[in-house]
Amino acid sequence: MMDFFFSVLQSVGILVCAPLLAGIIKKIKARLQNRRGPKVLQTYFDIAKLLQKDSVISPTVSWIFKGAPYIYFAGVLAASSLVPLFIFSGRGFGDIFTLLYLLALGRFFLVLASLDAGSAFGGMGGAREMFIAVLVEPAMLLSICTIAFKAHSSSLGALSSSAANNPFSLAYIFAAIAFFIVLIAETGRIPVDNPDTHLELTMIHEGMVLEYSGRRLALIHWAAAIKQMIMILLFVILFLPWNIVGAASVIGLIGKILLVSIGIAFAEISTNKMRLFKVPNFLAVSCLLSLLALVAQ
Amino acid sequence: MIAGDLYLIMLLLFSTGILSAFFTRRNVKYTNYIAHSIALMGCAMAILCAIFVFVQGEFKFTLPVLLPFGEMIIKVDGLSAFFLFVVGVVGVATSLYAYGYSREYEECRLPLMAGLYNAFLLSIVLVLTVQHVAAFIIAWELMSIVSFFLVNHEYEKKVNTRSAYIYILMTHIGTVFIITAFLLLAVAAGSMNFEHLSGNSVNAFMKNIVFICVLIGFGTKAGMVPLHIWLPRAHPAAPSHVSALMSGAMLKTAIYGMCRFFLDFLGIGPVWWGVVILVIASITAVLGVLYAFIEHDMKRLLAYSSVENIGIILLGMGAGMVFISSYEPVLAGLAFTAALYHVVNHALFKSLAFMGAGAVLQSAHTKNMEQLGGLIKRMPYTAGFFLVAAVAISALPPLNGFVSEWLTFQALLCLPLALTGIIGKVGSASLIALLGLTGALAAACFVQTFGITFLAKPRSKKAEEAVEAAPTMLIAMGLLAVLCILLGIWPQVMLLLLHKTLQTFSSLDVTMLGNQVWYQIPLAQRGAGEGISTALIGLILAGGGLLAYVLYRNWEREKISGSETWTCGIVPNPRMEYTATGFSKSIRLVFKNIVHSYDETLVNRSSSQYYGRELSYQVRIQYVFVSLVYRPINEGIIKTATFMKNIQTGSVQLYVGYIMFVTVVVLIWSTRW
Repeated sequence: MMDFFFSVLQSVGILVCAPLLAGIIKKIKARLQNRRGPKVLQTYFDIAKLLQKDSVISPTVSWIFKGAPYIYFAGVLAASSLVPLFIFSGRGFGDIFTLLYLLALGRFFLVLASLDAGSAFGGMGGAREMFIAVLVEPAMLLSICTIAFKAHSSSLGALSSSAANNPFSLAYIFAAIAFFIVLIAETGRIPVDNPDTHLELTMIHEGMVLEYSGRRLALIHWAAAIKQMIMILLFVILFLPWNIVGAASVIGLIGKILLVSIGIAFAEISTNKMRLFKVPNFLAVSCLLSLLALVAQ
Repeated sequence: MIAGDLYLIMLLLFSTGILSAFFTRRNVKYTNYIAHSIALMGCAMAILCAIFVFVQGEFKFTLPVLLPFGEMIIKVDGLSAFFLFVVGVVGVATSLYAYGYSREYEECRLPLMAGLYNAFLLSIVLVLTVQHVAAFIIAWELMSIVSFFLVNHEYEKKVNTRSAYIYILMTHIGTVFIITAFLLLAVAAGSMNFEHLSGNSVNAFMKNIVFICVLIGFGTKAGMVPLHIWLPRAHPAAPSHVSALMSGAMLKTAIYGMCRFFLDFLGIGPVWWGVVILVIASITAVLGVLYAFIEHDMKRLLAYSSVENIGIILLGMGAGMVFISSYEPVLAGLAFTAALYHVVNHALFKSLAFMGAGAVLQSAHTKNMEQLGGLIKRMPYTAGFFLVAAVAISALPPLNGFVSEWLTFQALLCLPLALTGIIGKVGSASLIALLGLTGALAAACFVQTFGITFLAKPRSKKAEEAVEAAPTMLIAMGLLAVLCILLGIWPQVMLLLLHKTLQTFSSLDVTMLGNQVWYQIPLAQRGAGEGISTALIGLILAGGGLLAYVLYRNWEREKISGSETWTCGIVPNPRMEYTATGFSKSIRLVFKNIVHSYDETLVNRSSSQYYGRELSYQVRIQYVFVSLVYRPINEGIIKTATFMKNIQTGSVQLYVGYIMFVTVVVLIWSTRW
């Protein structure tokens, strides 16, 4: 049960830090584009502001629309308690599949909510979100397989310790790139989705939540930030080598997270959003790299 | 021998049910209540009987009724009891549901339907419990024929009759293979008793033949690709409670047959058996869910989803077969646990979904999703229960679908231990990816199904006038929904049951299931502390959601103002809503090499060249296996028949000549030895 409490503690930590990370990525991206950009803490301000606002809710919607943000938030929160930040977290009650399916639970309800309001924008966003999710899932599992087969386990503790003890190799690079592609697709960043726009031609995630306002929108933004942080943490812990597990590695961890943030920001400024039907090819590259990594092991 | 008595009472009840439908046919209202109540009690007896078998051990009867073939042997062991239990649970729910749903059929041969319904249940339990080759085949045929009549119940509709004939044809092709498999073993063993059948009495080549026959024979019934074509036709044609029973219980008899052969009779076989099953299973799962996703007819969609779930079950079984062949009993136990757990789950959530679809059909008089919408406000309970089914089918935690999918993932993850080398590794990784793809597609499919059917505004007058289903139907759905949740957050009960079921098989080692922590599903190959606990996950989920909600509620009362959905200034109407066709279009385009679809946009310019054109959009789907396998076979048969017609002139003399000729040839041939 000790593990359980540590997990809860950890998810509170992620809950608090996630908007900061989102702000940092935004800041780095702006700096790389020679802009000053919003404040690092801007995401907190946005959430705080939204929390105070009134909601506008369409009479068309049902309880699904009203409840979905809570379920999304809860799912993401539960997933965050499983991230193997410390070796004992999540042991005994969740593994990598649980984590991925908890994220899927949130997405399931959010897409339902997007259909609930009955506008074409919501439906389009929802359909695209599901489309990307369908393509991401196999790519993600393949890249997870590259380490899971080595660890002979799907438990996050075993995966992270196996990743920590593995020597640096070619297979590792392949697997890391594969997961990075998945990370970009899953967190809805350029070139798969653009997190900064509501433009109807480009939007996926933002289009889906177009009907939301006030507190529920704040909750969704917050949950999206947490989800992004979870994915980045997974990447850092499972795919960046020379992992040091334990409390002593906090500085190393922060350094690696920053490194990944810079990577994401750099990827965002150096490409533009690709056509929706190019995304399958993009993710196929990830699948191929994972298979290569498996062969190279 | 309480279990034995209960078993006989159950048989008696079902038989009475058949007769009662006949004797009360003058007053269909009575028929409805009496026949379905008797079916309900029979199913309850089936559950009790199964529980007693689990507690007290197996029982056996020998009845000297099947004279030409020796005695009829009825034996309920762990495996039979497990499937009996599943059928019982589904049967209780469908019988309850039938009270309300059958009212639709008061004008339409209700007594016949109720009688056949009892006969159907009777034949299913017989299939699961007789342990004698001839009796099994008779029960199997009975089941096929009774279900054929049920599929064909509304024979006024041409499409139903066609579906029913395709069904009976396919199922008989399957039966041929099943009979072959049984006879090969029975002849070698010199007995028709299941206890004497053994794969060791035939040589390796014949054993492979038996395996292939079993796979094709039972695969046809299970809906394995490419033998699945009857399934999406037959299930929608049957009355909804029968569809629920067909999908929840009848398909499972095929899985039972496979388990019986693979675990009991055939023993340890070569590795390629398992590999073949794995390959077919992954194709079945992915194709099934893809076709489900692009389908608009709710019941057809659910039928395709059954194909997918059979694929997932077979993935578990295939992995189990591989492990058995490579002498890994613990892992084989894990894999078969996954498969059988999914059997239970699929029985629960698919029957639930079929009942939900039936309620919608009864109330809105259409199964076409594009004409539905907004039903969550008109049928709130049905919507809630259907949502449970949708989440469970999508394998999302903390519901039951997740548990079995997780177990299947675990089994596949261990595959490289048995299939060593790069091919094994890449193959297992691909299987895991395909299972993941299946899960994601199922989620997308059921988001679409629930979203389009129940959410937003009604798309037609029919949907606007829908009303909530009858109370008995709601109770039946509620029962299954509760079970879906219960088996999700507390899977240990089912795992204990599976421990009892599988421990008798020497090729499996499931001791791990017997000693578990109450809140945790252990991982097979490692000790305690590794595993998942859906109860704790559910707790965290509930905690997180509650926390967010309470904080929000108590902090400051939220001010909500109502305003129509923003549609760029136009008054929103249902025509603006996203359709199922639109929702699945991107997936359809990506998988266009597998799902051949032809989109046609028809423009009617009769009124004006530029303004006020009428547009209609059509999608036609060409099913790969129909065009690749069935059409050529069909054409081949017709061509051969036309060719054979040439020698059929109608002259009796010529026919006598043929007979003479053949007789002479046979005589010459026989004297050569």
